[in-house]
Amino acid sequence: MNKSSVPDDNNDDPDNINYPSGEELEKLRSLLLGPEQEQIRQLQERLDNPELHANDIGRDLPQAIVMRSNRDDRLKTALMPTVEGIVKASVKKDYKIFSDALFPVIGPAIRKAISETFKSMIQSINKTLEQNFSWQGLKWRIEAFRTGKSYAEIILSHTLLYRVEQVFLIHKESGLLLQNVKAESVVFQDVDMVSGMLKAIQDFVQDSFRTKRGDTLNTLEFGELAVWIEQSPQAILAAVIRGIAPVELRTVFQNALENIHLEKNEALESFAGDTSPFEAVKNQLEDCLQSQLKAKKQKSSFVLWILLSVFVVFIGILSFFPFRDHQRWTHYLEELQQTPGIVVTSTEKHGDKYHIFGLRDPLSNDPLKILKNARLDPAEVVFRLEPYYSIYPEFMLKRIENILNPPETVHFEIKEGVLFSQGSAPHHWIFETRKLARLIPWPVQYRDDNIIDIEQKKFDKLSERINKQYLLFKTNASQYTFEHKNKLREIVSDIKGLLQLARALDKNVHIQIVGHTDSFGAERANLRLSRKRADNILSALIAKGLKKDNFSAIGIGEGESSNEETNENADENSRCVTLRVIISDIQN
Amino acid sequence: MIKKKICMLGAFAAGKTSLVQRYITGIFSEKYFTTIGVKIDKKTVIRNEQVVELLLWDLYGEDKFLNVQASYLRGSSGYFLVIDGTRRETLETARILQNRAEEAIGKKPFVVVINKSDLKSEWEIDTNALDELLSGSIAVIETSAKTGQCVEEIFTTLTNKMMEG
Repeated sequence: MNKSSVPDDNNDDPDNINYPSGEELEKLRSLLLGPEQEQIRQLQERLDNPELHANDIGRDLPQAIVMRSNRDDRLKTALMPTVEGIVKASVKKDYKIFSDALFPVIGPAIRKAISETFKSMIQSINKTLEQNFSWQGLKWRIEAFRTGKSYAEIILSHTLLYRVEQVFLIHKESGLLLQNVKAESVVFQDVDMVSGMLKAIQDFVQDSFRTKRGDTLNTLEFGELAVWIEQSPQAILAAVIRGIAPVELRTVFQNALENIHLEKNEALESFAGDTSPFEAVKNQLEDCLQSQLKAKKQKSSFVLWILLSVFVVFIGILSFFPFRDHQRWTHYLEELQQTPGIVVTSTEKHGDKYHIFGLRDPLSNDPLKILKNARLDPAEVVFRLEPYYSIYPEFMLKRIENILNPPETVHFEIKEGVLFSQGSAPHHWIFETRKLARLIPWPVQYRDDNIIDIEQKKFDKLSERINKQYLLFKTNASQYTFEHKNKLREIVSDIKGLLQLARALDKNVHIQIVGHTDSFGAERANLRLSRKRADNILSALIAKGLKKDNFSAIGIGEGESSNEETNENADENSRCVTLRVIISDIQN
Repeated sequence: MIKKKICMLGAFAAGKTSLVQRYITGIFSEKYFTTIGVKIDKKTVIRNEQVVELLLWDLYGEDKFLNVQASYLRGSSGYFLVIDGTRRETLETARILQNRAEEAIGKKPFVVVINKSDLKSEWEIDTNALDELLSGSIAVIETSAKTGQCVEEIFTTLTNKMMEG
């Protein structure tokens, strides 16, 4: 064996060592480490080749992210700035891409947010209205004032059946507070001290009353407030409850405490004042914050009533005017129907306007005036009324009066289809009316039985007066004397009036002047004397301006005298002249 | 958050309550002493930029309550033994209380507080002559509730010790 090629372990001289050549070494290396070398080369290539490297990372990345995220939040924290930067850059570059991507999300999200906001707003308004403006709300305010409690407390006490207001997780040995949660709006004292005090009270009860070992204080009650206490070997769960809670709630607390114990057993056992491990049990304590509202009485609220009333009033006002107008319109039509001289045949409504069809006597009341009295708007009504003559008695009388033009002393009346006239009227009018009345279409009959002819009456009166006149003479005297003068003046005046009236009445008047004597003396002489007396009076009358044609003078001697008043002195009074009016109609 | 329970031990009228009154946050009234024998207050101490909350169990200092105090002591990380410098007998009470505390909760750091340093001329206690029991304390501090002398110090001293241990 070649010494130089075989190393000698015993040879300590370094100069004598024969090293294998490079080629041999390489050979030896490949013999010994051939497969490993290949692996190293491949590894090297994978490390050096970015493509392969990236491929590897890409393969492992999802799993790596999942694993890392499970462990802690550092990956999130590390990536946050990058992701934020990416989002910013992308939005800056083209915001449309982002907005397009978010579009399907944003719409529903906004809608949900709005609807939630509205819901909560309405609820809160409802609640506020109910609590502030209802009778109940007022009562609660008074109660709050009376008891010195806050209004919120009073509301809660009345609306809550029970509520877990606060939950304490207390380290059993030290009484230190590990964690606590409280319901919304609960105002509480310093929780650390309260927690310590709760523990102290427990100890106090246990020590003072020498309870059995293992017995614990379960409940503290004060009025409507209670503290329920659950214990585990290391911790105390104390829940402050307002109201009357169901017993089942205790199970909830027990479960929570058991779970906490299970999770945080180590932290509880080694607790030396650091409460940070107990942050994580907050959720479990929050599950204990239960509450139940009182079943609300199905009583409609005061506010609802107000709203309802307002609604009713509003509807009332809205419907009142049309209703009122309708009422007015109905009344108006009724009144119109009853108005003499107006006949409504039909009514129609076209758009906003009422149309009235029918007949109207010109003498009837003005329908427009009635409309105004009915407080309807004239602009809303159109009249289609044809004129006609109504035989309504009042109108007929009016028309008759217009035709017949009676003097004021005459009054007309229509009874059972007959026109009656009453009162007094000049002869001429009576005469003319009889003719005109025949022309009146209705009533067809005219009666003037009760009308007094003024001229006729006067005529009759004068005639009667003249007939009663007498002029006395002394024995055997026949001359017209001064004594006769006054009487004769009266007689002349009456005769003139009579003659005048006779013309108007179409009558002929003849006055006979009759001379009388007493019974003394011879009959013949008396006859002559009587004639003479009559002639003398006739002459006197003619002298007064009366026409002779109207008179005749006769003497009848002694005998009948119309002078009845003078019966006592018959002889004296029979020496007279009397007048006799003779009337006859003028023959046409 | 670090929280520590500490107790105030001491004879009746040693000045425990008045000692801490000005330096703590309290919500319970004095009547708690007479009803359940303890009142709990809170003191926040900043140590090395860390907030430490001390829950201070102020125990009613009357002999007949001594047996009650045992359970109140449990879970304490340390305590104060308050002695009235003007009353020698309070030192004796303190010694009994210290024994009781150690029985109940084992060896825990405690600070001996000799109160009423403003009345030092009337003191019946010689601080140098404190026996070996009290020498087990981490510190003996003279305070005055009246002037506030060294009150903060007792809290920081005890806190520092408790946080070390």
